[in-house]
Amino acid sequence: MTAPAACDLSALRARLGMALLEETLLGGIAQVRVAREALADTLRFLRDDPAYRMHQLTELTAIDCLLLRDTERFDVAYILHNLQTRRRVAVRCAVPEEDPRVPSASGLWRAADWAEREVYDQYGIVFTGHPNMKRILNHHEFVGHPLRKDFDIYRGYWLSEAESLADELDRRRAANPQRLAGMQPGETMVLNLGPSHPAAHGTLRNLVELAGEEILFCIPEIGYLHRGFEKSAEVHEYNQVIPYTDRLNYCSAISNNVGYAKAVEALCGIEVPPRCQYIRVILAELSRIMDHLVCNGANLVDLGALTNFWFLWNLRERIYNLIETVTGARLTNSYTRIGGLSEDLPEGFVPACRALLKEVPKPVNDALKLVARNRIFLDRTVGVGMISTDEAISHGYSGPCLRATGFEHDLRKTEPYYGYDRFQFEVPTGHQGDTYDRVMVRFLEIFESVKIVEQALDQLPGGPVKADHPLSVLPDKDRTYGNIEGMVNHFKVIMHGIQPPRNEVYDCTESPNGELGFFVVSDGTMRPYKCKVRPPCFYIYTSFPRLVEGSLVADAVATLGSLNIIAGELDR
Amino acid sequence: MNIMHYLADLLVRSLFKADPATWPYTWIAYAVVIGVGALLAFAFVAIFAGPVTWIERRIAGRIQSRIGPNRNGPQGCLQWLADGIKCWLKEDLVPATADKPLYLAAPYLVFTGMFGAFVVLPFGAHVIAADLNVGLLYILAVTSLVVVGLLMAGWGSNSKWALFGGVRSAAQLVSYEVPSAFSLMAVVLMAGTLSTQGIVGAQGGWPWQWFVFRNPFLFAAFIMYFISAIAEGNRTPFDLPEAESEIIAGYNIEYSGMRFLFFLFAEWANMWIMAAVATLAFLGGWQIPGISPERIAEAKGWTFVGWQALSFAIFVFKGTCLVFTIIQIRWTLPRLRVDQLMITCWKYLVPLSMGSATGVLLLMALVREGGIVDWVMRGAMLLVGLLVAGAYIRKVRATFMADRDNYKKMEGRDLWYPPYRLP
Amino acid sequence: MNGSIVQVVLFYLLAALALTGACLVAFSRSIVHSAFALLGTFVGVAGLYALLAADLVAIVQVMVYVGGVLILILFAVMLTARVDEGKESNPTVGKIPGLLAMLAMAGLLVVTAVKAFGPRTVISEANPPSTVSPIGNLLLSKYVLPFEAISVLLLAVLLGAVTIASGRMRKGAGGKQEGEAPR
Repeated sequence: MTAPAACDLSALRARLGMALLEETLLGGIAQVRVAREALADTLRFLRDDPAYRMHQLTELTAIDCLLLRDTERFDVAYILHNLQTRRRVAVRCAVPEEDPRVPSASGLWRAADWAEREVYDQYGIVFTGHPNMKRILNHHEFVGHPLRKDFDIYRGYWLSEAESLADELDRRRAANPQRLAGMQPGETMVLNLGPSHPAAHGTLRNLVELAGEEILFCIPEIGYLHRGFEKSAEVHEYNQVIPYTDRLNYCSAISNNVGYAKAVEALCGIEVPPRCQYIRVILAELSRIMDHLVCNGANLVDLGALTNFWFLWNLRERIYNLIETVTGARLTNSYTRIGGLSEDLPEGFVPACRALLKEVPKPVNDALKLVARNRIFLDRTVGVGMISTDEAISHGYSGPCLRATGFEHDLRKTEPYYGYDRFQFEVPTGHQGDTYDRVMVRFLEIFESVKIVEQALDQLPGGPVKADHPLSVLPDKDRTYGNIEGMVNHFKVIMHGIQPPRNEVYDCTESPNGELGFFVVSDGTMRPYKCKVRPPCFYIYTSFPRLVEGSLVADAVATLGSLNIIAGELDR
Repeated sequence: MNIMHYLADLLVRSLFKADPATWPYTWIAYAVVIGVGALLAFAFVAIFAGPVTWIERRIAGRIQSRIGPNRNGPQGCLQWLADGIKCWLKEDLVPATADKPLYLAAPYLVFTGMFGAFVVLPFGAHVIAADLNVGLLYILAVTSLVVVGLLMAGWGSNSKWALFGGVRSAAQLVSYEVPSAFSLMAVVLMAGTLSTQGIVGAQGGWPWQWFVFRNPFLFAAFIMYFISAIAEGNRTPFDLPEAESEIIAGYNIEYSGMRFLFFLFAEWANMWIMAAVATLAFLGGWQIPGISPERIAEAKGWTFVGWQALSFAIFVFKGTCLVFTIIQIRWTLPRLRVDQLMITCWKYLVPLSMGSATGVLLLMALVREGGIVDWVMRGAMLLVGLLVAGAYIRKVRATFMADRDNYKKMEGRDLWYPPYRLP
Repeated sequence: MNGSIVQVVLFYLLAALALTGACLVAFSRSIVHSAFALLGTFVGVAGLYALLAADLVAIVQVMVYVGGVLILILFAVMLTARVDEGKESNPTVGKIPGLLAMLAMAGLLVVTAVKAFGPRTVISEANPPSTVSPIGNLLLSKYVLPFEAISVLLLAVLLGAVTIASGRMRKGAGGKQEGEAPR
């Protein structure tokens, strides 16, 4: 593995002086701790200074240090990323409990808007200067901030009435009066696009104000599928969290399994054996194919082209059949374990997989033939939901949606893990970041994934699929029942769980949707102290209003489909 | 002579031994015959629309590499009956906030509009309910009732989505009525009559006698009429009023049970009407090749009945071919956007159809019918038509062959099933 | 024709339809209902035309009034804000002006009826010849000037509508497109 070297911080050091309190490493990322007074300056400096140009806010979260250490109550963490130099910087800032206020970064990065709302929602930290400081995942009648360590998790709060969102709509109206120019009151129509709407894959609610069919304003409301993944993770052992990760992006569950396991392994300092890495790559790439099949199929259904969906769906079923032979499950696989896999590949997997890969191009090409040069499809998608690279990066885009803007960025290339640098594959990019590009990038990535899987199957090494790490990994059954050391080892791991050292890590993988990050904090016990997911589509969805405002309802539906918003991942 | 007229007279003569011209109660016989005729037409709608839903679903299944309904009856051929009965038995829900009278009346209006058009469709040489002098105009007029019905449904449901669907539908129907009317005008100019039987009579049984192959403008008019017809029937790629992913099925979103079925019924009936109008106006209608209408009219007894049946079969066959084309288009293309829909209509179809009508006029003035130029044009257009059909068949065959070989290679068994053994 | 009883029955049915529709239009509290009730009137009147063997006029009545005018009215009504409120959408003019308007209208109708009263025309033929070609011939010969004048008028109306609509659209579009992705 060739992780990029940590970012050189000398320019920041010179700029901040005494305000820079501490320099550490967050996994492989250079991390600075700054005083709260200097936070706004630091962030602006990191974004604008030519030495850094951190034009993406990859992740923003907070840590409640109540049980962790005897410092200020909260820690706000920013992870910044320069996608060109591929450097990352993490910024930390302590926030006292009695005055939980931090300057907002929403003016610097568009991604900060929702991320800050989430931190406010979960931890009660107020970001001053934020234009819309209100809850995002929990409903508006919720009391308290659930990710605080002293939150009573047995207390539930009913939602009696959905939020009207009138305040946000009024604010948008006031900010863009020109859109209402020449219109009498009552000439527009306010409509709820969702939460139960065929095109709102899952449960997304968009309050739209329409002039005819043209969307003047769009106010998304998310959280309908919020089930407290992060809070649940905190009360489960490390391995017990894996089934929860299945439910994040349920179209490609194994990708999430792999992402989570990789992050925890980084936390524990485990290196998984090569065979395990290859198997993870193979299954994650198959998941990527499935995810893209579902996304494109559903997107084309949204455009009224039903037949493509079945072509692609049948293929997905075949991949499911294969994965079922490996994991025993179709949708929620829970295949990885910390330090390895639940079990090795079954016999005959390799030939079956090779046969399957031969079947992949046909239906995909069939579907492509129906749409790629179809005039109606082109009219419906080219130039629809367009976003420029700069804006996309500012919104925190990653994955196919970012590549569709013409910017080549793929964590499998830029921060290769699991030997992705040993595979020959291309990173398809689009031209102008519209719906057409997003669909086509996904189609092309299917072919690239096929290539990767083929190579991985060729190179698939033998050996164990579990790391030799007795503190974290269960021994084989013959050892468990064969000798006393194995028995004790098994007992220890079962009873006391995996106990990583006190550490923090941010680790990311290229999931089908983009950068899937896990920010895991360990306090040395068998349960994660904090496990924050960086869901790619959460950040992508922040751009939805600006993608669709000014376009028609039909365009909004097409755009939404092409962004591949998965509610399970979005709302967690 | 109208077959219903004939039957009514026959009834009076044989049953009451009276002369229909002087008998005072002939009108009762007429009323009875009209009633029976209406019932028969209704039965045709039902019997046509029903199985077509099943056929469409089976075809869609084949297109989409799945099976489709195959459980009720042999090959699932009674599926439509099961669906109909199911819908009939379902609760007829009326939303609490709906505008009740409008909500309840709308499906009937839609259905009446569709059904009314059947009156003037010439199914066979003498198989027509009423051969109106203004037949073609009548079809255009009576289908406008559908628009009112859809608007009524959209408004009555008191749902924003339904209103969207209703308004979209009305805008679409009103717009596409213009190019379809202009395309039909080209035919009316050629035939010199608005009567549907008259238009069919002006053509002949052989393809070179059909209007579609008479000259290039009529060929263009046929294509434009076909496109407009698909749009008026709310079929993909013009199915915006029922776009389930955008406006959640539009105007029929709140309907359930029988009322919902009426909308579907009307949709499939409309598909047939559009195909039938295209057939009668452009494809020679029921004309039997080599048999002149006079010979049919002069025939007696079983010969007469046989000609009627044959002409009926020819008409239904031609119409069904068009219906299949519509079905295939539906499962192939994505949906247009609302502005593109309007652009297609007003920027392309309307001027082009006006142009084609004018072109037909010009050719009528310049080219003598039966002259050498006329025959050259007919031959050329027929050639074009044959080439299109040939290319289509070739393409379908090639695709099928490729799929068959691929399937054989992958699955190790034949793709082809005899039709009675389809899965 | 010996179907005269049918004709009489049909006449009263159609007249009742037209009148009921008209009454609903006038007395309905909801303007949407009024607009939909127009359908009854139009169809009833078309039926009366058909009964008078004026087939073309009947069909054109349905085409133009149901397919065109009624749809337009419905569009206008449905897209108007606060159309549900009867007071907003169906204001009355007061009793005195209403009475005056009614009297004027009634006078007009009586004068026309008296003028038109004359010997009954009985349509004897069972299948009257088509009225399409006579009307067409008349329109393009005797009445060609009014016919053309009406076309020019309609063209002017069309152009005016396009001008008004496009001016408004440009204004709206100019405001909306600013800073937006071009479509």
